[in-house]
Amino acid sequence: MVLCEQISINFSNIDNPALIITVVGLVAVIIALAVLAFVIGRITNIQNFFVKIKLRKRETKSDPTEEKPLISISADENAAICTALYLYFTEMHDEEKYVMTVKKVSRNYSPWSSKIYGVMSLSKRR
Amino acid sequence: MKSRKLGNQSGSPINKLFVVFGIILLLFVFKPLVFPVPGPDLNSTTTILTSETGNSSVTGIQNGLEKFWSFTGFANFYWGNLVMIVVGLLFIFLALKYEYNPLLLIPIGTGIIVGNIPFLHDANLQIGIYEPGSVLNYLYLGVAKGIYPPLIFLAIGAMTDFSSLISNPKLMFLGIASQLGIFIAFLGALVLGFHLPEAAAIGMIGCADGPTAIFLSSRLANGIHLLPNGDVVKNLIGPIAIAAYTFMALVPVIQPPIMRLLTTKKEKLIRMKPPRQVSKREKILFPVIGLLFTTFIAPAALPLLGMLFFGNILKESGVTKRLATTVSNPLIDIVTILIGLTVGASTQADIFLTPQSVLIFVLGAISFMIATAGGIISAKIMNLFLKPENKINPLIGAAGVSAIPDSAKVSQLEGLRADSSNHLLLHAMAPNVAGIICSAVAAGILLGFLM
Repeated sequence: MVLCEQISINFSNIDNPALIITVVGLVAVIIALAVLAFVIGRITNIQNFFVKIKLRKRETKSDPTEEKPLISISADENAAICTALYLYFTEMHDEEKYVMTVKKVSRNYSPWSSKIYGVMSLSKRR
Repeated sequence: MKSRKLGNQSGSPINKLFVVFGIILLLFVFKPLVFPVPGPDLNSTTTILTSETGNSSVTGIQNGLEKFWSFTGFANFYWGNLVMIVVGLLFIFLALKYEYNPLLLIPIGTGIIVGNIPFLHDANLQIGIYEPGSVLNYLYLGVAKGIYPPLIFLAIGAMTDFSSLISNPKLMFLGIASQLGIFIAFLGALVLGFHLPEAAAIGMIGCADGPTAIFLSSRLANGIHLLPNGDVVKNLIGPIAIAAYTFMALVPVIQPPIMRLLTTKKEKLIRMKPPRQVSKREKILFPVIGLLFTTFIAPAALPLLGMLFFGNILKESGVTKRLATTVSNPLIDIVTILIGLTVGASTQADIFLTPQSVLIFVLGAISFMIATAGGIISAKIMNLFLKPENKINPLIGAAGVSAIPDSAKVSQLEGLRADSSNHLLLHAMAPNVAGIICSAVAAGILLGFLM
């Protein structure tokens, strides 16, 4: 089907190379995602595994009746802890004297800030 | 009283302006009389003819005015310029009135106006974006040579928190949505008669990934490379870039109707489990593993993926805060300004307004809509296999396209519309980031096949 001089619709343009690129591209990306998701998912398990080993070693050394520390803290708890810490640190101030002082600022003479020019100049006509 | 009023009027700035311009005009008109005009130009037939009549001063004025007129935008006006200027103004209006991605639409809109001011093309003024030596042309090199996209990816990496993706890796599969868009646009472009490399570059619009689309088109549809049949590929960088960035900017307009159409009230209310806490070690390991893994699969995407993960390492390492801050603030601002302005200016009407550009836009719009729908449907399919407590809100599926972070924001807003306490932003960032990674990998694969 011809839409205009430069454009036409032709489904036969989807030839073998195009189909191969499409299929291989899609499959490769899906496999890449799947493997990446799998590896990322395992990182936590591997990390927890090492933490558990460490804790077991500590348990053998320390008192067995001691409370077991948590491996992971939920995001909500973490957010609450972070907010509390943030509020605590931002609330901290230096001790203030509660005495107000007015410090006189002395300015050097400059013709640009001289009062006399302001007095001499004519008032602006409105 | 009256005289004072008159005095005021004569001293008003507008009157002064008239006086100044009046004097300049008089000087201009009487210049040939006051300063004698040099002898007639022998090459100019009009001057010779009029000089024969002895009316050289008037002819001088006339020639000067004609020359001046020939250089003005009015003399070189082309209807396409007006169309594009209206489009540019529309972009600015959308950004100002509705705040649709103003950081992109304002530079692009202004760029469209800048690129469509008519001027004399044959005078070698070196002002047009396609004229070698012009300032705009130098700035455009960043687009044409694919320099800006890796810099943008670097900033995206430094600004993105991959925590939600690491805590829930299965959300990565929602990034497949962007693949649907890419390959549907690719096949559609082939059907419409584009060659393989051109179609591959056009495909990238399907996931609304501006930087990747520019990168791929600068490699495959740059008007330089030869096709197997001996033809030169078309230079489609301008239309592809503007289409991709337009869809990126118009995500808040395009996606919501599709999201509302494909999700039920019950699905919109699904509350997702809060993501678990991700350790610093995991956050550092992710970009390293991701970099190694994805670039081994698609080395051609190294400039994009390398920069993306490098940026993220800068952020997560915690010891390069200065670099991460520079990349995620001043650098991205500079690159956004340059890319927005030059992409906008590349829409010079005489080069841009072709049936093919319109087709690229239509194709991009259709495939982007299909990609959005694909993401939502993928989430629904995944829900069939998940336990009730792990269900995914299908609204975040729409964020599987690569328009980061706008599509995630749209998911959040649509979620809030249904339930004002259901925040989906963090969850939606996972498919959004996955979409970016997917589209970069797909770009690498396409480059590998077609370069």
